[in-house]
Amino acid sequence: MLELPDIMRILPHRPPILLVDRVLEFVPGERIVTTKTISASEPCYSGLADPLPDAGYAYPTSLLIESFGQSGALLWLCSARHRGESVEGTLIFAQAKECVFDGRAYPGDVLRHEVRMDHLVGSNAFMTGETWIGDRRLATMGSVLAVARDSAELPQAQQPEPATRGLREGAT
Amino acid sequence: MTTAIQQHLDEIREIAAEVLEIEPEEITETSSFAEEHEADSLRAIEILARIEKKYNVEIPQAELPKMVNLRAVYDVVAQHAGWAA
Repeated sequence: MLELPDIMRILPHRPPILLVDRVLEFVPGERIVTTKTISASEPCYSGLADPLPDAGYAYPTSLLIESFGQSGALLWLCSARHRGESVEGTLIFAQAKECVFDGRAYPGDVLRHEVRMDHLVGSNAFMTGETWIGDRRLATMGSVLAVARDSAELPQAQQPEPATRGLREGAT
Repeated sequence: MTTAIQQHLDEIREIAAEVLEIEPEEITETSSFAEEHEADSLRAIEILARIEKKYNVEIPQAELPKMVNLRAVYDVVAQHAGWAA
């Protein structure tokens, strides 16, 4: 329902830290279903000792949560747009609580994030949901918080290098 | 103090304890969230969010700076939820 160019018009994230490929379902203010395909060519797999045991190629949990968080940010921003509003400021991934992981993902797997908007307080979006591979649940996300803050309130980084722009500009 | 007030105080204490990851008994009506229970601004927002959801009330973010301890939170919620003082 939304492809990469649509997603890039909404999220500030850019490859290689743009971690949502496609939106399958979207119910404004309620839920979103997204996918992210894991590939061996992603930066997290470069420069590793070769070959590693199987577990060495498990997709990093931090990136999995980031991918879920970006899906949540899409739900938040698309819902705001749907209401004719906008979310001002820099998107920040603030916290994840009560997350339970039932397995690992590997290159070739397609992650499917089902994110529900739990509660929105001003510029703070509390999300909940699950991440699946097919019919196997990989993670239950109890509470993931994304916030938007005025750039002036944030600690000032040096001018970002082009290669890390995505990371610094949109760390949801 | 009527039982309704006590019940609401206990419920809010329970919410705050969950968010701050401490035992409810540690929170008194006047113990400071920030100074005594190490709450930061995100924790404060989380307490606000959970209260809004539980009591189905809307509390303006401008009230956040007032919500420094259990009693202060109760007063803000009571005002917006229309609880009798």
